[in-house]
Amino acid sequence: MRRDLIIGMAGSGGDGIVSAGESLTAACATEGYHAMMTKSFGSQIRGGESSCRVRLAIDPVLNPGGALDVAVALNWEDFLKFGAELPVGGNTVVIYDSATGVPTDKLPLTGVVPDEVFAVPIGEMARKSAGTDKAKNTIVLGLLSGWFGIVREGVMKGLRKKLAKKGPELLAANERAFQAGIEYAAAHPLRTSRLMEKPEKPGVKLLTDGNDICAAAAVFSGCQFFGGYPITPSTEVMQFLTREIWKYGGAVLQAEDEIAGVGAALGASFAGKKSMTATSGPGMSLKTEVIGLASIAELPLVIVNVQRGGPSTGMPTKSEQSDLFQAVYSAHGDVVRPVLAPTSVSDTFDVTVEAFNLAEKYQTPVIVLSDQEIAQRKEVIDPIDTSRFQVIDRLRPTAAELEAGYDRFKLTDSGISPISHPGMKGGNYLGAGIEHTEHGEPTASGAMHARMTEKRFRKFDPLRERKDLFRIEGDADAPLALIAWGSIAGVCREALALARAERLRVKLLVPYLLYPIAEGVYRRFFESVKAGLVVEQSHQGHLYRILRTQLDLPKGLRPFCRTGANPFRPSEVVDTLRDAVLEMQRRVEDTQQPQE
Amino acid sequence: MTSLPTFTAKDFKSDLKPIWCPGCGDFGVLQAMYRALAAIGRPSHEIAFISGIGCSSRIPGYTTAYGFNSVHGRALPIAQGIKLARPDLLVLAAGGDGDGFSIGGGHVPHAIRRNADLTYIVMDNQIYGLTKGQLSPTSAKGRKTVTSSYGSLESAVNPLLYVLAYGAPFVAQGTPADMAGLAAIIEEAIRYPGFAFVNVQSPCVTYGEEEQQVKAQKANMKSLASLKHDPTNLLAALDLARAYGTELYTGVFYKNPQPPSTMDGLVRERQNQLALNALPREKILDLFVQK
Repeated sequence: MRRDLIIGMAGSGGDGIVSAGESLTAACATEGYHAMMTKSFGSQIRGGESSCRVRLAIDPVLNPGGALDVAVALNWEDFLKFGAELPVGGNTVVIYDSATGVPTDKLPLTGVVPDEVFAVPIGEMARKSAGTDKAKNTIVLGLLSGWFGIVREGVMKGLRKKLAKKGPELLAANERAFQAGIEYAAAHPLRTSRLMEKPEKPGVKLLTDGNDICAAAAVFSGCQFFGGYPITPSTEVMQFLTREIWKYGGAVLQAEDEIAGVGAALGASFAGKKSMTATSGPGMSLKTEVIGLASIAELPLVIVNVQRGGPSTGMPTKSEQSDLFQAVYSAHGDVVRPVLAPTSVSDTFDVTVEAFNLAEKYQTPVIVLSDQEIAQRKEVIDPIDTSRFQVIDRLRPTAAELEAGYDRFKLTDSGISPISHPGMKGGNYLGAGIEHTEHGEPTASGAMHARMTEKRFRKFDPLRERKDLFRIEGDADAPLALIAWGSIAGVCREALALARAERLRVKLLVPYLLYPIAEGVYRRFFESVKAGLVVEQSHQGHLYRILRTQLDLPKGLRPFCRTGANPFRPSEVVDTLRDAVLEMQRRVEDTQQPQE
Repeated sequence: MTSLPTFTAKDFKSDLKPIWCPGCGDFGVLQAMYRALAAIGRPSHEIAFISGIGCSSRIPGYTTAYGFNSVHGRALPIAQGIKLARPDLLVLAAGGDGDGFSIGGGHVPHAIRRNADLTYIVMDNQIYGLTKGQLSPTSAKGRKTVTSSYGSLESAVNPLLYVLAYGAPFVAQGTPADMAGLAAIIEEAIRYPGFAFVNVQSPCVTYGEEEQQVKAQKANMKSLASLKHDPTNLLAALDLARAYGTELYTGVFYKNPQPPSTMDGLVRERQNQLALNALPREKILDLFVQK
């Protein structure tokens, strides 16, 4: 029995292939499977080709995976447009509409002979069972359900829910189509059974994506203001909050531009409310000046950057990890802002809550570097116990402090000064982008600038000790290492398991805190490391280069990078790691050669 | 029954000494602000006063309100964020003509259409003073400055027409040459329930021209009241506003007698309507439970 199944489907816009993927994913949730669904479209808003990948499993799904176990092509032309995203391998079961006229031994797949191939009269079955071509996607669901023993109940439940309002006839037609698919599969069994295991206990599952759960985490953290501007692939954060935030006394401002969005958010923070903005790379560039203001005015603010391929418009619907330099270095002036990155839909919740906590605690802008992959893929995940999270609020001056003569930017040991807000009597101060004294008066004194700059750095010192903002897995004293952040961390977690199954002695470091660099955490991790890879989805390998500027890296640690929209597969990470081992061994041999 | 606290102008004066040049028009604006705020009678800690960057944008620091001297051109977005987050506060925004009509010009129409209940005071001196005398968006065509050695090739923005055209419900102009009048205008603007715009012809003594100075203004200014202008007449207001740059009218150009709804008011309403449907915060993830 299988514990993991990767299904890829493609069709033209009207085929409802993405809708089928969504039904399948939702059905996984109701039946207790874990699942991950990624979508991919042509550039048209309507019509054109569309595809999706659904990976379902008994255990949590870490990444979309590599080659497909099942490939579904409603027509080959559209399917082939998604070559890299829907790779067919030697173990793949290929299912396609026989109406394409392609013989099963003449598939347009260069260099690959799939394990099993089914030309199914999908369109004809749809018309026969449901009276319409539109039921092709339901036929596909029936075929998948029949051949792989999955989500029969869940799909039926989903159909009933989805079509409840559309009348009994449409529901009955879809039920017939689904049944027709199941019966076809029963009549044409797979040569090798690929039945999925059933989840042990169904239990409750959540179905969501990175952007929605990020916004939910904001609500959970007490965020009461969002200012932003629509930009792919971050807009769903604003959309979610537009539905929910009012219920909690909050407001959303869809601003006239990116600058006004972050400006309004900063204003709300000045007024004493937790606030956030979300954007993508180009928007981040526009917001940079106001983020500098937040740093010097020491105002809490959460800025989410859902990375996409860049620069400029780049590839708005494709993932890339190429905004880390921007997050770390784009500030004008001498300043540091914490940068955090989630690695999955589920931990986007943790990271966003942490971002609000850091922003409040250190009175600072905090950048959450999500990426398109995490932000827009749907995942079926285990429920999150919100009682394990502490929610931190900014340190306010006490009544006694306000009466004694309040200094907004008081130079304290921790570097954190109690912060007042309008409405607090005696807390009146001048917030400003200009350098200021402890009391908040503008100053041009070099000595005061030095003290205030030092204060704005010092307050982050404890952050460098936050081991809990890193995940370390594998053998503690392993000589081989993987380092990965963002969505690529999920690929590397699976790669780690594959490598260890091959008896490679390897460990993995995943930073949720990307900046400031927690030097101690890296140093301790590097102690046993002789070789390894920093795996990143960018041309330059931003994290690798930042680490090199701040730390002595093990000699055999090297970047494994590629630009966005080119997914990494766990198996190739292991292959590359093996190369790194060979390289290291050659180096050892070289040094052991007797000198002539 | 306790009586409401009363305030004098002094209550709004901070300890900071203005850095403005002696004779700067902004001193007069500041005095008028003190008087207006005393007349309004809100305690200083309930006032948020936001500015951008420029000589005039220093003004919040010279008051006892919660001030925010932010970045160039962004006073209005920040002020709106404050008002939407905290409708209970009295929110003021201020800045120069460059701040409001050049770098921040794109924010003005949107602030007007949202109509948050705040007051925006532009200290219009037709020059960039803080950077030492460059062309501003309200500099007259042909004017020679350090960035227009042979005379400006561009027409000036007309701030009054600009905001009237976008539908601002309260539009007025004043000058420190008439302090009492300016204080009254600012007070009326603050009391107006919606986006209120006051253009103050506040002369730059260092880089301004002779005919822009207070002395010349005193000779030239004409109050709209003396012209028997009806401030509820939008077309008459638009007609008078066309004289920006040639005539110095003071007083209220336009005051919508039926104040449109404010965004901060609508935000409150929506919050109240929807609060009943809220899951407890810690249950927010229940929205994603797949049943």
